[in-house]
Amino acid sequence: MSGIAAHSDARPSGAVTNSATPGGGARDYAVVLEDISKSYPVRRSWGAMLRHPLARPLFPVLRNVSCAVSEGEFFGLLGPNGAGKTTLFKMLATLVLPDAGRATVRGFDVVADSARVREVLAPVIADERSLYWRLTAFENLELFAALQGMRGAAVRTRVDEVLHVVGLSDTAHKIVGAFSSGMKQRLLIARALVAQPRILLLDEPTRSLDPISARTFRAFLREEISGRQGCTVLLATHSADEVMELCDRVAVLDHGRLLATGTTASLARELGEERYALYTRDANHPALATLVQRGVVSALMARGVEDDWTRLEMEMNGGMERAAQIVATLVEQGVPIARFERVPLPLADLIDRIVRRGDAEAGHA
Amino acid sequence: MRSAFALIQASWRTQRSYRVSIILSILMLGVTVLPVYFVSQALQPYMAPSIANQGQNYFGFLVIGMVALMFVSTTVSSIPDSIGAGIGNGTLEALLATRASIPSLLAGMVGYSFLWTAVKGVLFLALAMALGLHLSFSATLSGLLILALIVLAHVPFALLAASLVLAFRTTASIPSAVMVASGLLGGVYWSMSARVIPHWVQVMSNYVPLAPGLRALRQTLLEGASLSAVMPDVLLLIGFVVMLNALGCLAFVEALRYARRSGTLAQY
Repeated sequence: MSGIAAHSDARPSGAVTNSATPGGGARDYAVVLEDISKSYPVRRSWGAMLRHPLARPLFPVLRNVSCAVSEGEFFGLLGPNGAGKTTLFKMLATLVLPDAGRATVRGFDVVADSARVREVLAPVIADERSLYWRLTAFENLELFAALQGMRGAAVRTRVDEVLHVVGLSDTAHKIVGAFSSGMKQRLLIARALVAQPRILLLDEPTRSLDPISARTFRAFLREEISGRQGCTVLLATHSADEVMELCDRVAVLDHGRLLATGTTASLARELGEERYALYTRDANHPALATLVQRGVVSALMARGVEDDWTRLEMEMNGGMERAAQIVATLVEQGVPIARFERVPLPLADLIDRIVRRGDAEAGHA
Repeated sequence: MRSAFALIQASWRTQRSYRVSIILSILMLGVTVLPVYFVSQALQPYMAPSIANQGQNYFGFLVIGMVALMFVSTTVSSIPDSIGAGIGNGTLEALLATRASIPSLLAGMVGYSFLWTAVKGVLFLALAMALGLHLSFSATLSGLLILALIVLAHVPFALLAASLVLAFRTTASIPSAVMVASGLLGGVYWSMSARVIPHWVQVMSNYVPLAPGLRALRQTLLEGASLSAVMPDVLLLIGFVVMLNALGCLAFVEALRYARRSGTLAQY
């Protein structure tokens, strides 16, 4: 694990089920990954195959990933495309076998107890092609309810419930081929929910939804799935809104390495950079230049003007106490200040910084 | 079992939405049976001596052979086709992520094809009976048992082809090879007696499961022979079923493990 991950607040447990948290409290883990590695064969050219027929070059997709997700937690998985998020989800869904390491879901090993894993976990990783397009939404869900072991009247009741939950009740008897992408996405989610899983894997679930549907869906995940049903949710996403609104903690993956885990705020702090915005009428006041020269603040930059007040953004360390001292100093020296506030680090910047730091550490290693 | 039934129901719901296809498929049976009738009538004097112990009537001989070949075709192609389509559109991954067992998923994925083949087989026989085919209804149960054994003896080839699709995205032409071998050496169109074919071809036909299956099926359905009368051929079929299925299942399990290891369950 990288240096950053070593500081993270989620560490793998040694046992299959472990009630000891890193912090020492009593808590069960829904998902535990212990040194998981996975490589896929590299697709070679005909020439390479003829020259080296027995060679089997491999491309690492996951490298010694260790992590634990608590019961009921909303856990975000972030990282650039190709980071290994989908492979990790498929492994938890028992669709891909790990090369090394161990993954358990509610204590069940994903390799040895795959049938038990499938009883408690449902993935939403397939795309909309995996729906039966010539069947209605109801028929699709009816099929998967039966495959998940539901019988009799319970099937109809549950399918109706789930269709209502994802807002497809009105179109329940329309064939899926006539659905929009957003509706198909909602049906995929309904398909995963039909068996009332305890753990839900969501791979970019709102990518085909319009902003309003995405917001409604986030509210549904937060209130219904995570809140009322107490599901553990693992969410792979590129959406800052989803991370900020939903995730208790996030993990950042890049090139198969788990670079960091924690809350977004703790990760931003861990990276040692805090951004602030200051609104002033005198952006060229010498007191500001002095702060930069003395290295108290860095990356001082004007970011637009509102009603004659220039917005200056800067980075400084030391938390709120230090920020308060600097504001007091500036006011003392006559800098006119209308507003001073913390700027949350944009998700993309946070990921980028974690990835760059991980790359630097990998380079050192 | 209920999982399999649910998948069969879903396949039926899908297929019934293609109405023109269903109607054309049934019409084709009529188009097929008529030329078979006229050609068999023309060839009857030449073929009669070689099929003396298999109903003596060449039309009946051909119809039984063609119905059995329909089932063989469905058996060897439906499993790899379903697996290939499932990989291509992602349904296989979705199905494998459910609680249903792999045997019930396989049964469900191909169940509809078999039921549809059974419907077509019955219609084909009914049309043939309208044209003068005589079947021994007292031997229906024996006939169904032998037909089931014929299907089971060909399942391993289907599993092998499906395994290759899972692992390497090719059937290696196994379904076509089985169909050609069954058509030429299984005794669908002519008797595998020394009177018709060379000795070495007759020896080769001993390794084609359809050959003993068809011999037994024709003797029961066309001549009313009892199961005990065709027991040598039935035992030979059972031998094929036991030996080949072990290999087919092993190949499929290993191919599934390979696809899970290489992460290619949803990549065509």
